Order: sequence, then C-alpha cells, then structure tokens
Amino acid sequence: MNTDRFDLGGGEPIITLRDIAKSYWREELEIPVLQGIDLEIPAGAYIALMGPSGSGKTTLLNLLAGIDRPTGGSLEVCGHELNDLDDDQLAAWRNAHVGFIFQNYNLVPVLNAFENVELPLLITGAGRGERRDRVDQVLQLVNLTDQMFNYPRQLSGGQEQRVAIARAIVTDPDLLVADEPTGALDAKNAEEVLALMERLNRELGKTIVMVTHDPKAAHHARHQIHLEKGVLDRTVEVNR
Amino acid sequence: MRWLALIWKSLMRSKRRTLLIVGSLVLSVFTVAVLQSLLTTLNAVTDNPNSSNRLVVRHKSGLTQMLPRAYEAFLRQQPEIETVCALQWFGGYYQDPRNFFANFASDEATIFQTFREEFGVANLTEAQIKDYLRDGAGCIVGASLAKKNGWKVGDVVPLTGTIFPINPRLTIRLIYKSPKPSDENVLHFHYKLLEEGVPRMKGLVGSFWVRAHRPEDIPRLIERVDRHYANSAYETLTETENAFNLAFVKMLGNIGAIIQGITAAVVVAILIVTGNTMATAIRERTTEIAVFRAMGFSASRVLSLLLAEGVLLVGVGGSLGVLLANLAAGAVRGSLGAAMPFFADFAILPATVLACMTGALGIGVLATFIPAYAATRRPITDGLKAIG
Repeated sequence: MNTDRFDLGGGEPIITLRDIAKSYWREELEIPVLQGIDLEIPAGAYIALMGPSGSGKTTLLNLLAGIDRPTGGSLEVCGHELNDLDDDQLAAWRNAHVGFIFQNYNLVPVLNAFENVELPLLITGAGRGERRDRVDQVLQLVNLTDQMFNYPRQLSGGQEQRVAIARAIVTDPDLLVADEPTGALDAKNAEEVLALMERLNRELGKTIVMVTHDPKAAHHARHQIHLEKGVLDRTVEVNR
Repeated sequence: MRWLALIWKSLMRSKRRTLLIVGSLVLSVFTVAVLQSLLTTLNAVTDNPNSSNRLVVRHKSGLTQMLPRAYEAFLRQQPEIETVCALQWFGGYYQDPRNFFANFASDEATIFQTFREEFGVANLTEAQIKDYLRDGAGCIVGASLAKKNGWKVGDVVPLTGTIFPINPRLTIRLIYKSPKPSDENVLHFHYKLLEEGVPRMKGLVGSFWVRAHRPEDIPRLIERVDRHYANSAYETLTETENAFNLAFVKMLGNIGAIIQGITAAVVVAILIVTGNTMATAIRERTTEIAVFRAMGFSASRVLSLLLAEGVLLVGVGGSLGVLLANLAAGAVRGSLGAAMPFFADFAILPATVLACMTGALGIGVLATFIPAYAATRRPITDGLKAIG
C-alpha cells in the first residue's frame, strides 16, 4: 500500500473542490460537517471515501453528486460549477452526469426491473425504441436480461443491486456515486457487485466515488480518501 | 413505459387503500349527484314554463275541502280567463295498490285547452279527441304510463278507488305524448263519472285549473277571485300553478337547505378522507420521491406526477360515481316515475355531471397538492435516509 496526501494521479479532473465547507444548523447552533476541503479527482478514478461515522464522508458524496449544496467554497463537477445552477438545472445536470447507487437499492417496488432501469430515461426525451435499446444493453451488462420482467420482490438482494446499478448507468453518466453499495449484501453478492463496479470503471471509464466502511469493499477502489472530523486526512493508493 | 403507466402503477401500489378511497369517492359523488339532481328535479316542478299563465283555485282551508262547481261560472266571466278546468285527484290504483300512478277526474270539455302543452295537443287529431269526448267511460293516458302497463287504445283499465267508493272501468280512448316524461304518467277520465258515482261529489270539485290569456293578468285575477269569495262558506285560495306545486314540495320541509347541507358535509368529509389518504401515501414514499429527484426529476415534475395520481384517483372515483348515479336515476324513473310523476323527469343532467366532476377533481388537486408540495420541497438528502 502506498500512502500519499491527496495525490490521486494525473489526468483531467472531473471533480474539483475548492475550500468546500458545509454546516448544518440546529436552531441557533451551527454544526460544521466539512471544512476547507480541497480536492481534485481525475476522470476515470475509482475512489473509496472512508472515515468514522460523522466524519462527513456521506455529506461530501452528496455535495459532489449535486443533491446538497455547500455553505462555502466552489464545486466544479463534470465541467459545471454546481453553485451556479438553480434547482431545476441541477436536476437536469444530475440526470445527465450522475448515477446513484444506494445501500438499500431504492428500486420502485411497483415497477419491474426493466421499468426501474428505464425511469431516468423518461426525462431525457429519448423515444421508446431508444429507451428499450438502452435498457436492454445495460441489463445485459449487469447480466439480468432474463430477469427484466421481475419485480424487486422477486429478485435477490444482489440482483436488486445490479438492477440499481443498471439504472445508475442507463443515461451513460460520467460519474457514479455509491453509498455503502454492499452494506446490505452477503459476502458473495457483495463481491459480485464490487466486481461489476470495477468493470464499469475499468472498461467503461466511469468515475466512481463510493462511501464505505468495509475495508474489503474499499480495496476494490484505486484510491481511498480518509476523512476525519470534516477534513481530509489522507489518501491511500491501493496496490493490487 | 409511458407516463400514464407510471402514474397508474404508483396509484395501485396499495390496491386495498386505492380501492377503499375510490369506493368512498364513488359513494360521495353518487350521493352528491343524486341529491343535486333531486333538487334540480324538484326545482323544475315549481318552475314549469308551461304554467306561467295557469292558476289553481282551491278551498282556502286545504286540498281536502271541496269548492262548488258553480264557481266555474264566475271564473268564466272574467275577461282575462281563457278556460277553466275542474279537476279532482281520484287516487285510484290499477290491479295492485303498489301499482299506483296519478289519476284525475277532470272536465273533459276543457282539459285539452287548459293543458295543451302537456298533452301535446298540436300532435293530436280532432278524431282522437272526439273519441274521448264521446265515451263517458273513456280515459286518456300518457304514453309512458301506457307503455309501462302494456296498454293500447281500446283497452279497458279497471281502477280501484281509494278515496272515493267507486271502481270505474275505463276504456282508453287516447294515448298522448308529452315533451316531459313526468306528464306522460297521468290518467284522466270524465268528471261526470265521479259525480254520478259518488253522490257527495255532486256539484263539488277539489280545484279549478284556470288558464289566463296572458301571464301579466295573473296577479289581478288572484286578487279578484279571492276577494269575490272572501267571507263565503267556501273561501278560495288562488295561486299560480308553480306556487301550488311549491306547496307540495314544501311539505317535504326545506329540502333545498337539507340537500345543500348534506352536499357540503359530504364534500368536506371526502376532502378530509382523500387528503389524509394522499398524505399517508406520499409520506410512505418519501425516500422514493428523493430517489426520483436524485435521478434528475425536478421538484415540479415530481409534483406533477403526484398531482396526476390524485387527479386520476378522483377521476376514476368520480366517473364511477356519476355512472352509478345515472343507473340509479334510470331505476328511480322506472320505479317511482308513475307514482310520483315528477320522478319521471329525474335525470343526472350534464350540468350536474360537470359540477360533480369539477368538484371531485378540485378535491383531488387540493387533497394531493399540500402533501405533495411539502414532499417535493423537502431536501433530497433528508429523503434519502440511507445516504443521510
């Protein structure tokens, strides 16, 4: 293992954070969660965000995924300064550039696998045929073509997470954010999901930022970023 | 997948809850549609344009008291009056007491002139009318009543009296068609038959129906007739036909206020029930809404989807309620139309359908908007508890 402060290698940055701060307010009390975060993540990186509970890793993930706003600093992701976008522009930006993978999969229970994957495409303006082709492609990629008409309750946890991954990549985003993607899976399924994410990074060039507590999961990333009490502590390059 | 499919599937996520709320919507819209139509029907009874120049002269003490038929002569002398028809409610039934319909003993010589719109006199031939006038045991019946009982011209209709101790056997001489179904559920026979069969009715009648030449003569006539018979043994109460009918409707109490009160209660109740259901349904989907927004659905798009669910829900419930009300109206017309002629006109009118559907959709939008708006304004990170 090679330890180096915040050096994530070369390449054009896809994420640039400058002096990012984030605080929450509880009545009159300001609770700082992130402070002075400076970070550049190159395109094609695979990052594991690690740290103890309350260190701010999920908050940082939310900020760079555009579902939360910083209280200070600038945040450029996929060529857009997110602070300059209003809520609707930010929604459109997320649809085009970010895919989400959640710990609990968060599939819509009344839609089958195909329809769940198709959801983000409904707002892209793609026609029915185009949508069908895209969904077929990504379901093939996650090896779930034969389960496409099954509902979430008819799928195993591992299959559900693979559907969620297919949904995350169906719009061909540059960035995938994953919050504890294997947290609800057994070891075998977790390994399959991590292998799939690794393929997406290696073969499709997707930039992945994953929050995890699990050192085994983090080992699949190329770099680990450790946070401690809201500040960047260190980065670790993973040698495999 | 199309948007409508997404909305429908979301709506059917809890089938039991959706069916229950649709059921309460059906019941509410049905109740409101039927009650409002009842009000419309009753209002039509007391607002008949054909009766604008007709008066009813009856005993001041009530409908059960008789007036001398001799009053007819005075009425005929009034220059404003075109014709006078003596009319007595007979109250008989055909074969079975449950087979009840409106039947009258009436002055055969003037009835066609007095009620020419109701009998569709313009479409009758002189020969048809003469057939009735010639036969003292003849009767005329409306087309709906004849159809219901399978009667045709020449058939004998035995009536059993309930008020008067006679059972006339009447021969149908004329079947008339009327512009209004309620006017087709009536039977008239010669007044002489009642006078001859019931000695106490000799020279007496329950009411006179008077047709004036012009509606503007009515107030003057009312005042003159009642003044003429004031302080006599048989004082009169003269009123317009609409006022006379209104007195019948008022026997039911202030039905308008009752119906509007029930309607308001139903609307408020269904608004609360729908609002509570939608709020619960939306609250259960907090995470899902956050996921939609994370995937790039804007807050306004998610709000539109949720509103569409609410509108679809009440649209289905409202449509079924209106459909059921229409079926019920048909059943009411068939079962009560003969006994109570104004029910023959009972229908769910397009204006009532429009009002019910507008109201239902308004409830759907209002009940959905508040929880949906709150849900879509909630920070995504709050909704995504797993991430937060």
